[in-house]
Amino acid sequence: MYSLFPLLSVMTPLSIGILHLILHPFWFLEQFFKKAHKILLLFGASLTLTIILSMVPYVLAGEILEVPHLALYVDSRNIVGLIGVALIFFLTSIYNVEAEKGGRLKPTMYNFFLMLFLCCMLGLLLSYDLFGIFLFVELTIGVSVILVAHNPSKLSTEAAFKYLIITAVSALFVLLGVLIIFFLAGSTNLFIITSNPDTQARLVENSHLLMLAVACFIIGLGADIGIVPFHGWLPDVFPGSTIIINGFFCSEPIALILALYNLVAPFYRIYPSNTIIMLMAGLGLLSMVFGALVAYSQKNFYRMLAYCSIDEFGHIVFVLGLLTSPMSFIVGQFYLVNSAMMKAGMILSLGSVFFKVGTADMQKLGGLLGKMNKTALSYIICALSLAGVPPLSGFYAKWLLYSVAYNFLLELGGITIAVVTLIFLICISLITFVFLLRSFHHIFMGEATETTKEASEAHWTMWFPTVVLALTSVILGLQPQILLNLIGVV
Amino acid sequence: METIIIATLVISTFATLSGIFVKTTRQIICLLSFQAAVIGLFELIFCLTNLIMGLNFEALTDFFATFAEWFSAAVISPLIIYWGMMKTENISDKPVVNIRRGGMVIVAIVVSNIILCIFTSSFFPAKINVLPFVALMFSISIFISATRTDPLKILVGLNMAENALFPLFAESPLFIIPFILLLMIFVNLVGVFVIVEAYRDYGNISVKAWRSPE
Repeated sequence: MYSLFPLLSVMTPLSIGILHLILHPFWFLEQFFKKAHKILLLFGASLTLTIILSMVPYVLAGEILEVPHLALYVDSRNIVGLIGVALIFFLTSIYNVEAEKGGRLKPTMYNFFLMLFLCCMLGLLLSYDLFGIFLFVELTIGVSVILVAHNPSKLSTEAAFKYLIITAVSALFVLLGVLIIFFLAGSTNLFIITSNPDTQARLVENSHLLMLAVACFIIGLGADIGIVPFHGWLPDVFPGSTIIINGFFCSEPIALILALYNLVAPFYRIYPSNTIIMLMAGLGLLSMVFGALVAYSQKNFYRMLAYCSIDEFGHIVFVLGLLTSPMSFIVGQFYLVNSAMMKAGMILSLGSVFFKVGTADMQKLGGLLGKMNKTALSYIICALSLAGVPPLSGFYAKWLLYSVAYNFLLELGGITIAVVTLIFLICISLITFVFLLRSFHHIFMGEATETTKEASEAHWTMWFPTVVLALTSVILGLQPQILLNLIGVV
Repeated sequence: METIIIATLVISTFATLSGIFVKTTRQIICLLSFQAAVIGLFELIFCLTNLIMGLNFEALTDFFATFAEWFSAAVISPLIIYWGMMKTENISDKPVVNIRRGGMVIVAIVVSNIILCIFTSSFFPAKINVLPFVALMFSISIFISATRTDPLKILVGLNMAENALFPLFAESPLFIIPFILLLMIFVNLVGVFVIVEAYRDYGNISVKAWRSPE
């Protein structure tokens, strides 16, 4: 069905962002923007969320909302991702009201780049054109780098430069893959490529080049996401960015990982090579092990969360990589959106701690449970959900992931391999559970230290978003079909 | 492949290769400009000839798109990095690997590309038979980025890698070129912005010193 909704959801943040850019040179408006920029950001984020939510009834009715000439679409395959991105952005915008204390960018430019960032992520989820995906990937990265550098601390510029170089090289891999596919298929529209038998025949005929293109997509987007071995930038970017930017960044993997799936899955259906599954699932497993083990030994909570993110990305890429399983995409999306929201809850909670005590060193923290009870409660709920403890949403996500992995391996290699892998996955989850629980113990339990004795609960605009995210975890844990129905409608 | 295309690609590959050995930031920026100019020159002349011979609208748009691509890569991007150098320092340094080891790596890259070229040429469609050259220039450019501690030289290496993909743009749709050029300029501006800010913070222009400021 032709609809302007997809275009509207991309254009809304872009227009608000451009409006900021146009007004930037007018010096007499600077005072006005200093007072109003946080409200304007919140307005832009809430308007975008409203537009996205208004598409839900159509998607539930089984409609595909499309703008064919711009290759944008919305259906059950991307609506949950869109909601996830817009919701995290909206909640972080509320958090931003009190937490943002200025940085290298002026308020107008800060708002412009944040709105552009939201626009790029939505565009990445909506686009089914290969060039469109490439453009949105590169723009997302460029804007992310600027947002990292916004932090006035010394750490940010080094982290931003590392991030820029790794991800800019990875974007070239994505471009190379797109160009190869274009030469082979003569089109960059994924719907045309997957529905035209002649195009498919040309791709199968040049299967070596097709595999090269798919490898380029995995390497390129893998580096942008931060999966092992392309994760080098991630542990520096978390401590290098401001707490709010880290919150906004939680929505980025939703767009990037679904873009990776959209670039790989159609070509797997055309040329079903096990190499693609091995590459995706292998990198996923590697990221899980590396992320969980390294996160365990961290003393700085930002670095712990960075490695915990690598572990989570590993889980998602692993399950999305089991391309022959009919449930893999549904479970992958559920896990992805839940993980992004829980991580946002944890990052914002710890951001409040950092905001109040000024350190991220867990050994200097303690006794904050009585002083910051709402923040502590939100943190532990989100952490337990991420670790997969029932009855929270993370438990359901992990349960579904284990089920898909077990069934896939049962068909492929028999019961021994399936059971061994399942035990291995449970062990990884146990490690995650231990280090997250230990972090709660270090930060919130015990006696107050010299650093934390003056601490008090953060402003309501800072704890409210984390409480909403924690509540989401409880609701989705008890009623997971809310999300699953939305993903499962095809 | 026509002889003139091979000649263009060989010259630009040598220009990329020279990037490993130059010392100052200014020299490597000049080399980037030269590499981009050579890569795009053949296509630019081809489009100009088409425009003079045909004088039609399609030839005109082709020429302008190619000219924009060439001008952006050979002039605008180097100028942005040059501006970054003016705001910071024109430093003279060597790659972090010594000449002997670096030479061995380069020989290994070239040999592996030749072997890859021989083995893969049978199944490459004629349209992308430039891919081995692209891969070689791309690998060398990444090597430049990986072996330098001066962030501006790293950025130049990144631009050289992007320029290496230019021969593949020849057959890409026309509407995509302005977007790719804008993105290239945007990435360079972001890179220079970050480098200038880091220079203000750390007072030097070495990634190694940024990592361990004490």
